[in-house]
Amino acid sequence: MKRYHDIAGDGGSGILEQVQAQQERVARSLSGVRTLLAVGSGKGGVGKSTLTMQLACALRERGNAVSILDADLNGPSQARLAGLQQRILVPGERGATVPTTGSGIGVVSMGTLVPEPHAVEFESVASGSSYTWRATKEFTVLNELLAYMDWGKLDYLLVDLPPGVERIVQYAELLGPSALFVLVAIPSDMARGVVARSIDALDKTPNRILGYVENMAGYHCSECGRIQPLFPAQPQVKLELACLGSVPFDPELAALCDRGGSPSDSPALVSWQPVRRIADEVCQRVAERAFLPEEKT
Amino acid sequence: MKFLCVSCDEAMKLIQAHPPERGSLTVVFRCPNCSHEIAMLTNPYETQVVGSLGVKVGGEQAETEGAGCPFTSVVQELGASAEGSSDDLPWTTEATSRLRNIPEFARPMAKTGIERFARERGLAEIDREVLDQAKDFFGM
Repeated sequence: MKRYHDIAGDGGSGILEQVQAQQERVARSLSGVRTLLAVGSGKGGVGKSTLTMQLACALRERGNAVSILDADLNGPSQARLAGLQQRILVPGERGATVPTTGSGIGVVSMGTLVPEPHAVEFESVASGSSYTWRATKEFTVLNELLAYMDWGKLDYLLVDLPPGVERIVQYAELLGPSALFVLVAIPSDMARGVVARSIDALDKTPNRILGYVENMAGYHCSECGRIQPLFPAQPQVKLELACLGSVPFDPELAALCDRGGSPSDSPALVSWQPVRRIADEVCQRVAERAFLPEEKT
Repeated sequence: MKFLCVSCDEAMKLIQAHPPERGSLTVVFRCPNCSHEIAMLTNPYETQVVGSLGVKVGGEQAETEGAGCPFTSVVQELGASAEGSSDDLPWTTEATSRLRNIPEFARPMAKTGIERFARERGLAEIDREVLDQAKDFFGM
């Protein structure tokens, strides 16, 4: 009796060819993107989204064409950070038009489409069992966003990842081997321990990590004007990765983010200069190496 | 998935994928040798898992459940159903074609939002110009 692999084709379901077509559409859609840069951590609450937006602003300030894909479908924050809430996707000739901030940064986020406080919910014929299919559905939605948005020509497409060490590998596989990563840590062993796991997880993929950013490296005291420690002790967990820079916690920045303002319009922000230096570091590292996957040793 | 006619040792061919009913797909296969037919009937979990991949059994043109709009509650809040309603504005062929350029899950919301945008401006039809106006209005 014949077995599965004895029979050519997929039995007429068309599923394999549709999956292949999806992958080809993503490749076409991203063909104008020079650098796909994922900002992740593994740990939640370390400031990935804020840093992603700041980094985008700093890269934009240097004349780069930059867009952000908010891959956190369930807890999206880029729409608020960009001041681009309550929008719809408008169909253009080559795909959905990317909503753009006043400073010219494209932002694609579920938060643009689904107003707070609505949760993102999917219709289902299998009610009460979303744990069996939800993750698959979310990656399909992300795949569709990658495929159908009219990204155009970009120097950088930043992808703001949600937390979860296991997911960072899934995103690496979704974005492909040429996607580069920047990881975000804070000066806490608990957080750095999780980031170390992310490094280990990504080490098994062909993707390269540019380095990590130490966020919340002290806080700016508005009374004394100095950077004071935010965490009690120097972290002991070492990250085997280049540090791209440290950014202090800045209450002014937090307020600006809630308003959807751009840090490039507030140069006095304490966190802004460190982020600009990190952007320089990122540009330099990207320019110096092609970061082909086979170069990974 | 593939189905084998055991008596003929022949791969069966998908001949029809019926629209889903209460979460169950009905897909009919026939043996090209003896013409024996069988129907695969999925349970809602199987239907949902296939739908979550963003594919349709029988190919892209097959009739299936909706893609799973994540904005159902938002679309309803905008005053229309995800499937459309009797007071939908007409869309030109070109505008309808453009609508297929955005992710399937976002189409019901985009359609509703653009029609609302047009109604607020007293426009009776969605065409290319309306889409361009909407693009400018929504800051793109």
